[in-house]
Amino acid sequence: MLRLKWRIAALKNGLQDATAYRIEFLLQLIGSAGVPALIQWLLWYAIFKIGGQTEVAGMSYTDLLAYTWMSVLFSQVRGGDHDFALMEMIRSGGLSNYLLRPVSPVEFVYIRGVAEKLFVAGICLVIGMIASFAVGLNPLHLLGAMILALLGNIIHYQLGAMIATLAFLWEEAYAILMVKNMVVQILSGELIPLNLFPANMQWVWKMTPFYLYVYGPTQFALGRWNLTEFGNAILIACAWIVFFTVGIKVTWKFGIKRYLSLGG
Amino acid sequence: MSEIVIQVDNVRRSFTSTQKGEGLKGTVELLFNPKVKSHDALKGVSFKIESGAFVGLIGANGAGKTTLLKILSGLIPPSSGEATVLGQKPFDRSLSFRHQISLVMGQKAQLWWDLPAVDAFDLLKAIYEIPDAVYRERIDTLAELLDVKRLMQTQIRRLSLGERMKMELIGALIHWPKVIFLDEPTIGLDVLAAHKLREFLRVFNQKEKATIILTSHNMDDIERLCSRVMIMKTGELIFDGDPNQLTKKGECRLRIRFMEKKSIEELSALSGVPADHIEAETTSETTSEGEDSNDSGAALPTAFFNIQRTEATKVLQSIMSKTSIIDMGIEETSLEKVIQRIYEGEPAGLVERK
Repeated sequence: MLRLKWRIAALKNGLQDATAYRIEFLLQLIGSAGVPALIQWLLWYAIFKIGGQTEVAGMSYTDLLAYTWMSVLFSQVRGGDHDFALMEMIRSGGLSNYLLRPVSPVEFVYIRGVAEKLFVAGICLVIGMIASFAVGLNPLHLLGAMILALLGNIIHYQLGAMIATLAFLWEEAYAILMVKNMVVQILSGELIPLNLFPANMQWVWKMTPFYLYVYGPTQFALGRWNLTEFGNAILIACAWIVFFTVGIKVTWKFGIKRYLSLGG
Repeated sequence: MSEIVIQVDNVRRSFTSTQKGEGLKGTVELLFNPKVKSHDALKGVSFKIESGAFVGLIGANGAGKTTLLKILSGLIPPSSGEATVLGQKPFDRSLSFRHQISLVMGQKAQLWWDLPAVDAFDLLKAIYEIPDAVYRERIDTLAELLDVKRLMQTQIRRLSLGERMKMELIGALIHWPKVIFLDEPTIGLDVLAAHKLREFLRVFNQKEKATIILTSHNMDDIERLCSRVMIMKTGELIFDGDPNQLTKKGECRLRIRFMEKKSIEELSALSGVPADHIEAETTSETTSEGEDSNDSGAALPTAFFNIQRTEATKVLQSIMSKTSIIDMGIEETSLEKVIQRIYEGEPAGLVERK
């Protein structure tokens, strides 16, 4: 039995929590979308308009700007920091609150945390579909791309939840989670399109699931991936999810035995 | 006979922690040669608790009370020994087990800080699959009993400590657990709030027949609520029984200050009271009034005689007929005093192990 009720309630509760401070929520949203886009735009402007380049790795100024603006939508949906929250709970004993409830703590923390991202994904989807329609792109591609980005969100958390179990052993896993996030920023295509990687380095991002977070969805939304490539990406994302689901079960099974439930 | 809901057999639990020495040297040592120290939090604890019991679990800081509650609620496993709650091993944490238990930690917030209590309760309702009508009825009952109806829409972070604690309690009881572990629920509460909370727990225990284990440093909590008390000391259960056994009905503590120091044997001979019922002190804190020194400032020897109230006059007469005293007083043998003496290391006599 799926026990959907608590999951829906946790989503609702997570959204209420995330939007408890409306101005903070809006500023965070605008800041996290606007600032990286502005930096990228300045970079491309400097290379093309000041530096006089006409093409970078086969992409024009317009291509790169299109990538920048479209990728902003999916960057907003990329995994949040609830893996850090999970690690902190293990470290401080806050996990006990969740262990006592008849729900999976890993899933519960995710659902509460992802509520905000789902809300943002909804906004991005509407904006993106309108923009796609306006510039002649297929709005349905945007919908598919958003689904892929959401699968990427799940993968991001699952990997983080697995890494967080190191806190059972070492009491701290902050540094590793930070390194993971830095790698993700580069290999997800959030900062630069991954086809800017040299041809002999393309395998680097292809062997990780991170390109499914931003690069893949952006390519499909911009019509640069065909349906087969998109279908493959969805299958690969599902495979990663299955892999990490098993990984989480194993690492948590062993980790929880070392949980100290500090405090109280 | 009531059924046994909690059974603990020879449960032990040890923890290891890394020790850091003082200063920079300690920091370097921690990096290259960390010292690990092992600590036995529980040393072979065994007991049984029947359904519907209200048990007080007391002990000084670090006695192992919270560790025991964490094991019983399934948060941590025992290092050895076996614990069963409601016929299940707590650390298996089956869904049915988690549906039937609750743990409230007075020092730990379980509700979400930025949300009003009502939103948290709505989520708990879905988690425990409580039907709407039942949920409404429970919320009304609990909010009424704890007098927090008007605060349900207020953010948790904006509530006072006492109000927050009451909300925590509602959150912990909303699913009507069969077994409740309360870890210092009245900590930091004012007299009125603590009284309300106690009253509520008493009614809940009587009406719902829930089994409750309560830890508290407030002996009022224990005296007013618990029909059975378990005392822990450095990981061991040193007393398990009726709290009246500890205070011993009709017993009092006769305090006498003498001019000169006397040995226990001399005091026993003077009073006719057995030596193991007498304590002698010459400290600067010998009396509750703080009048502990003579005119020259020297501490005066004081003796305490644990006797029946009816014997007080006879003992006093016997002593006064043989020696001079400075003053005397009779102290009630309150549970708090007894516990304090146990914490301070008083050898049994008063303390019995079931």
